[in-house]
Amino acid sequence: MTYRLLHKTQYDYSENVNNYHGLACVMPQNTSRQIRSDFSLTIYPVPDEIYTRKDYFDNTVHYFSIHKPHNKLVILAKSTLETHPSLHPDSPMTNKAVREKLRTDPLLKDALLDYMLPSQFVQWDDEIRRFSLDCFDDHEPFYDSARLLCHKIFKQFTYVPGFTTIHTPLKTVLREKKGVCQDFSHLAIACLRSMGFAARYVSGYLETQPLPGKEKLQGSDATHAWVSVYVPKVGWCDFDPTNDLVPQEQHITTAWGRDFGDVSPLKGIIFSTGKHTFRVEVDVIPI
Amino acid sequence: MVSESTSSLLDLYRTKLKSYDEVLTPDGTLKPHWQKLFVALEKIGNEELENRSQEIKNKIRENGVTYNIYQRPGGLNSPWKLDLIPFLIEQQEWRIISKGLQQRATLLDLILRDMYGERKMIKDRILPPELVYNNTGFFRACHDVKQPTQNQLIMYAADMARGPDGRMWVVDNRTQAPSGSGYALENRVIISKIMPELAKDMYVSRLSPFFTQAQQSIFKVFREKSDFLNVVYLTPGPNNETYFEQAYLASYLGYTLVQGDDLIVKNGFVWVKAIDGLQRVDIIIRRVDDEWCDPLELRIDSKLGVPGLLQVIRNGNVLVINPPGTSAVENSAFSAFLPSLCRYFLGEELMLPSVATWWCGQPKELQNTLDNLGNLIIKKANRKQVFRSVYGKQLSARQLQDLRAQILQNPTEYVAQEEVSFSTTPAFVDGNIEPRYAAIRAFLTATPTGYQVMDGGLTRSSVQKDKFSFSNQYGSVSKDTWIISDEAEIIRERIQLPATAYQQPHSSLPSRSAENLYWAARYSERSMSATTFLMITLNALNFQRNFGIQTKTQHIEILLKTVSSLIQVEPHFSDEKKEYFKNPYPIIAETISSDTQSGSITSSIQSFLRAMISVRERWNNVTWRTIDVLEHINQKLQQISPNQNPNDIQNTLNDLQSNLFTFYGIVNESIPRNHGYYLFETGKLIERILSKITILRSIFSIKTEPFIENELMEIVLMNHFALSHYRSTYKTNFEKEYVLDMILLDRQIPSSLSYLLDSLDHSISQLPQASERLSKARKAILEAVTCIKLIDVADIATVEPSTQVYEKLSIVLSHVYDLILLVSDYTTNQYFNHTATQHSITETIVDLENDL
Repeated sequence: MTYRLLHKTQYDYSENVNNYHGLACVMPQNTSRQIRSDFSLTIYPVPDEIYTRKDYFDNTVHYFSIHKPHNKLVILAKSTLETHPSLHPDSPMTNKAVREKLRTDPLLKDALLDYMLPSQFVQWDDEIRRFSLDCFDDHEPFYDSARLLCHKIFKQFTYVPGFTTIHTPLKTVLREKKGVCQDFSHLAIACLRSMGFAARYVSGYLETQPLPGKEKLQGSDATHAWVSVYVPKVGWCDFDPTNDLVPQEQHITTAWGRDFGDVSPLKGIIFSTGKHTFRVEVDVIPI
Repeated sequence: MVSESTSSLLDLYRTKLKSYDEVLTPDGTLKPHWQKLFVALEKIGNEELENRSQEIKNKIRENGVTYNIYQRPGGLNSPWKLDLIPFLIEQQEWRIISKGLQQRATLLDLILRDMYGERKMIKDRILPPELVYNNTGFFRACHDVKQPTQNQLIMYAADMARGPDGRMWVVDNRTQAPSGSGYALENRVIISKIMPELAKDMYVSRLSPFFTQAQQSIFKVFREKSDFLNVVYLTPGPNNETYFEQAYLASYLGYTLVQGDDLIVKNGFVWVKAIDGLQRVDIIIRRVDDEWCDPLELRIDSKLGVPGLLQVIRNGNVLVINPPGTSAVENSAFSAFLPSLCRYFLGEELMLPSVATWWCGQPKELQNTLDNLGNLIIKKANRKQVFRSVYGKQLSARQLQDLRAQILQNPTEYVAQEEVSFSTTPAFVDGNIEPRYAAIRAFLTATPTGYQVMDGGLTRSSVQKDKFSFSNQYGSVSKDTWIISDEAEIIRERIQLPATAYQQPHSSLPSRSAENLYWAARYSERSMSATTFLMITLNALNFQRNFGIQTKTQHIEILLKTVSSLIQVEPHFSDEKKEYFKNPYPIIAETISSDTQSGSITSSIQSFLRAMISVRERWNNVTWRTIDVLEHINQKLQQISPNQNPNDIQNTLNDLQSNLFTFYGIVNESIPRNHGYYLFETGKLIERILSKITILRSIFSIKTEPFIENELMEIVLMNHFALSHYRSTYKTNFEKEYVLDMILLDRQIPSSLSYLLDSLDHSISQLPQASERLSKARKAILEAVTCIKLIDVADIATVEPSTQVYEKLSIVLSHVYDLILLVSDYTTNQYFNHTATQHSITETIVDLENDL
């Protein structure tokens, strides 16, 4: 599929903001599943400085700063992408074999340890370990087990926007069995890492379908999150626990990291006494 | 007891030794330099040593040398502790140690560069990956932060102690923002002043070249062509444990002391927000820990850092010493791998051994640790984690079991260290010379030609006997550290300094410092005005009690009401509560000592002291001596009780007034006439004018009978220090017109309103002005001066016949009062930095119900 992607974030401040420093992580990655042919970032007011760099995880980030009084900030990222369906990897490697491989192969361990250790939003305990245990029988293929875990989360958890915030601990999510894509992804990652596997957090977009008979509304698409697990000899394989599927053409990858903290689309520091509100609009338009 | 024989002190000391000691060589012979030191100590004599020990304490207090101890009431500004006996190391041995330290610095620098680069040491299996990826000091945002200097680790400090083999062992590495070199410098200043004869027949290496030559030589690497480099010293603020040292070093080196919000990133550079605008910063020496340096990319809730700093470093537009990310090698587990890393990176053996360390993330080492738990010290690998070292031998069987379980839960997080017995060194404890364990912190700095070691260090000895523990947080005692030789120091090759100045022609006054100077002045003057007037009132009260006419007390009531309008504390004197006038002392005591009401004298003094400490680096030693006295007087003020003897109160106030005068004298005689000085003067004058007017309006509000008027006029003249001047000028009784003329208009009286207003205008005119036109503040002063100078005293001294109120006087005074309040507003708005609170905004993910 070819998509035109628009991601607009708008902040409105009740008081003027004189200085703003921001970090945007909104440029889609090039992966085996997608090729970015075009990207532009428009910021209003026009920043005094803007620098582009690759971060530690190989995502593209834009640092920018604004030093004029403003009460409205708009960040508009536009890209054109071509996406492809992912192939089902034929990996018979068992859970036991994968675990052993990750533990003992020094080069692999060096490359993957970031995604195997606890991180800011991915901490686990025995409860989470117990929850994942029955998905990872030693002799089952790892790929299928990871798929099974995502299915289990999808089956047992209810999608409830507004119930959690980014700071809700996974313990609570597990107990209440409620959350959004971010929580489900963090939980799946915690489960995988607790079992000794490497898993990372993927931020991106999902093209949504209008209700039957309705026209698609502008800005109705969404930023989305899912997980990616490392399968030896195959590479990173994506799973979407929120929708219980393997991401295909409708999933567009922006960035990956240990958890949300590494790939937050926009971080900013302002100096202000007032309040602010913000709005995000995403359009994933097939062309 | 000390006998007269020449070596008795030493003999006595030797009987106390339980383990090997610094005074002895491994084969048990006495080291000659220690012998010399003991001879010198003997000569001084025990009794005099006691005196000197006290003198050191006094000096430390006078100089305001403090260390902030967290989590203890009164722990802020705890006095620094310094032993009168220095720690001695012979120069030849020091050269060998220095080589080992230089090797370590070089090695740690290579490790850091590899860690934030290719990570070859992991790929080549020299270092387990956990030590990098599970290291709380490894900041992924710093992976592309590279400075233009060859070394990324610029300042380095190592804690060492002498091991059983007689060699120095390294017990800890400090790599992000090493503290202690300033204390080492101050220790030297104090010991050389108070114990001058100790160094007899010995040559002690100087410390200053390390600061003035070595440290600065690295600067030239950065921006070689620039005429001057603006260097700032970034402190976390007055509550940080080593704030004293930070202010001390900034002032010693002539760098501007700043906090995070004094700096701003703009147009690709870092700037200081100074009272005359933004000034570019070239070099930041930071004492803010790694993760707090940049809230945008590191710890998002940090208010101590500078948003955008990392990007400026990446762009090569500022040099940060040390760059963020360097704390990674402070992780204790590295000690276990340094020998192999040293062979790997340098192809040589590690010269200075670390204490034997095992990282529990490896199966063999874990097993070894578990098998010997009772004899080991257990630490967390990551220093950030709150976990005090556990000594296995101090644990019960049950506790050992718990510890074992704890380690097994997550072995990679623990390291085990051998418990080594280190050497003791002579320390002066409670009047005797006792052996105490000691550790020495050595300081290194990168120069263009390699790492340089400071010829000296900060030695700390344990408080308790037989305990090897040195954290200042637990009360260890520091020692001056002497690198000594028998011959005068060979003048070393001087490091060539570039022929440029490091400082701007006029150094920047950060807005925050400006604000603190201004408020220090306002609070000192607020205390001064209140004290002066209260003293006069107490005098009048005493006189009235003892010699007064009991029916004529109206002036006393007016004075007491004036006290209440000047010092706004509850309960206050008013006509509604006549009973207060009968026994005014309890309320007077409250106006002095209430620490819950912000108007009281003691709380003004406290605000004054706080503001002073926040700009500690701007005051000289003489000032601190007086500040120390004021702190003590303040303690007395706080103890004043409602039924205190009035004489005591008088005496304490007297003391306070004299020392405030001393403080003003020091400011006047010794402070450079820069922007800071003029802001101080501005604050002082604004406060003085406001309080003089408050008093005048309250005293001359309504006409009273001649006797009372006379008393009041005398008091007003006293309050303006003009009584004798009046008497010698007029040689008559008090006349309202003459009195008002003198206190409002007399150019010879430094506290007449017209004199004060002219002085205020002068001070403000010396501050940076936005344009050649009069500023709003100066316009307001001009109007106030004109109002006062146009006064016709004969006219203004009259009262409104129907009410007997001094209405004309009141109108003029209240108008001037309002104008001066405006001056205060304009000044604070123009020069001070009213930074709005910093907020971090992270977009949380929003997603809508997906209908797939």
